[in-house]
Amino acid sequence: MIEFLTPLNPAFILILAGIISAFTPIYQGRKFLLIAAPIAAFVMINAIFYGQDTSEFLGGRLSFAGIDLITLRIDQTSLVWGYIFCLAGLINGLFGLHEKCKITDTAALIYTGAGLGAVFAGDLITLFMFWELLALSSVFIVWRGGEKSYAAGMRYLAIHILSGVLLLAGAIIYGRAVGDYSFNHIGLDMPGGWLILLAFGIKAGFPLLHNWIQDSYPKSSVTGTVILSVFTTKVAIYALMRGYAGTEILIYIGGVMTVFPVFFAVLENDLRKVLSYSLNNQLGFMVAGIGIGSQLALNGVAAHIVVDILFKSLLFMSMGAVLHRVGTVKASELGGLFKSMPITTLFCLIGAGSISAFPMMAGFVSKSMIIAAVFEEHHYVVFAMLLFASAGVLEHSGIKVPYFAFFSHDSGKRVKEAPWNMLAAMGIAAFLCLYFAFPWGGYQVLYNLLPFETDYHPYTGDHVVLQMQLLMGAMFSFTLLKRFGLYPPERRAQILDFDWTYRRLGLSFVKWVNAVWARLGLLMTLMFKRFFSQTGRRLYQVFSPAGALSEDAPSGIAAVLIAGMLSAVLLIVYLV
Amino acid sequence: MAKKTAQTLTKEQIKDRTEAHPLAVPFLWLMDEKVVKNFIFVPFIGLIIFSVLGYFYKPHHPAPWDVFPFTYTLIGFAAYSFVVLAAWPLFKLLARPENYYGEGDDD
Repeated sequence: MIEFLTPLNPAFILILAGIISAFTPIYQGRKFLLIAAPIAAFVMINAIFYGQDTSEFLGGRLSFAGIDLITLRIDQTSLVWGYIFCLAGLINGLFGLHEKCKITDTAALIYTGAGLGAVFAGDLITLFMFWELLALSSVFIVWRGGEKSYAAGMRYLAIHILSGVLLLAGAIIYGRAVGDYSFNHIGLDMPGGWLILLAFGIKAGFPLLHNWIQDSYPKSSVTGTVILSVFTTKVAIYALMRGYAGTEILIYIGGVMTVFPVFFAVLENDLRKVLSYSLNNQLGFMVAGIGIGSQLALNGVAAHIVVDILFKSLLFMSMGAVLHRVGTVKASELGGLFKSMPITTLFCLIGAGSISAFPMMAGFVSKSMIIAAVFEEHHYVVFAMLLFASAGVLEHSGIKVPYFAFFSHDSGKRVKEAPWNMLAAMGIAAFLCLYFAFPWGGYQVLYNLLPFETDYHPYTGDHVVLQMQLLMGAMFSFTLLKRFGLYPPERRAQILDFDWTYRRLGLSFVKWVNAVWARLGLLMTLMFKRFFSQTGRRLYQVFSPAGALSEDAPSGIAAVLIAGMLSAVLLIVYLV
Repeated sequence: MAKKTAQTLTKEQIKDRTEAHPLAVPFLWLMDEKVVKNFIFVPFIGLIIFSVLGYFYKPHHPAPWDVFPFTYTLIGFAAYSFVVLAAWPLFKLLARPENYYGEGDDD
């Protein structure tokens, strides 16, 4: 037990803070925990990892039901996720400082802790525990969106529990076959490999398994969506990188993931939903990189995790600030908000530029590593898909979000600038988006964090020119389409996606089965009733005192019957 | 624009300045009709500059489709246009009333 607790897993600091928060009535106390706990976890990660000589720290050993668990593993890969999760926890805490909600505070702390615990898990059973805790803690954040988010929360919970069940089933099959539950490379050839991949795929938002993201994230509260956008999907990317690096099918899955959300994002009117599709699209880049599996690609994935969390949080925070002040994030209702919220506009533009991978902005130094790795391995089709998706990213996150919220036509809405805490949180994220892309000593800091040594240089003349050509071509297209009225107007609507299959088709089928079952039940009851009544009547007709058997019969018939029976017996005896 | 006095401003502009955040006032010209109309020249000039630069900075590892020095300008333009223009038929195909699922909208 003491060995399990020493050293203490940094995840438990956050989970413990979450439990304390649940019993803290004073909101200032809870806010202190929200800020202090991620900092304490960060300090602890460093103290553990740099307090020993090896490149991989294994601790928190525990024997459970005959299985040896390693609940804490810190190495160069998990360290990247650990750092950015702590930073995101801090930024989220700062962003939600004005909100006096015990449930959000508590759930956010436990959720952040579960994320940390999952990336530091050294075995599949520990991973499963934190995997489920991620789902259970985050669903309360979804439900903070109010009554309208209840159904989405239930769907969210169902699909994440399913993911957990698949993970556990896969882990047991795998562990029994290998005789070891350590969480290292799994691959598809191992028993349980496909099940575990499916479990990871659900959380990573693989195509056709992605709808929980767009269904639940935009329905949460102002702060809730920002918190949700960070952990679950990024834990899944970590798990894929740890277990399935170099699995070729992921290259194509990633390619599809980058492309299809682009078409949905352009249709959406809800800007937080647009960003949710954008989240899917960015995950696609990472999944493709994991599929490639080279050192350059995996470094690209790790770098992109860091900057994606920053710029995606920044974009979600800016839309959260708009929702907080205006009360809506429908593109059709917004416009001209830069007049009221100039600082938020600036931060949103930095986030938009970063996700679009403009030089000097964060996405440029990370996404290019993945795209270069795909190119190096001669996957030209996927390379073309990633280029196409890059132009698509510029459309929905680079232009659509800031343009329709802050510029476009003036909606006439005049509101206050975002509260100071929101601006401070956005400011930190925006600064880091610029710092990690700075050519002289900025991106090098990011690259030093990566799992493998790298000599990749993003700022070469040909790379900058290529990227700017792509972006300028796309921007010119936007202005041209706008000028000629070919850019579709923003309209309020529900856009159908694959979730239609279970929210409408599946539900209709269940209702139909229910109706058929009810009618069938009624019919069966009627048939049974008729059968028993007819049988009763027949029996009565035969056996009752007034029945057929009570009637007098001529003795000749009995003689004929007995003679027939005797003949039959004789025949059988003769033949046998 | 910054030199405009209160006398030269229209009523609407004065109202705009009064209502706007102080940090936004120097940038109100961004919503000017002329600026919006002529903004097309910003990416157009950028496009020309970087297309020309493509002659000097050729990709170190060219892709099979790297036939022109401005290939990526065309890719960016075509990809973006395709995505946006595809939205017209897709909207007709996929758009339903907001309360289609009976759960209200997201706001």
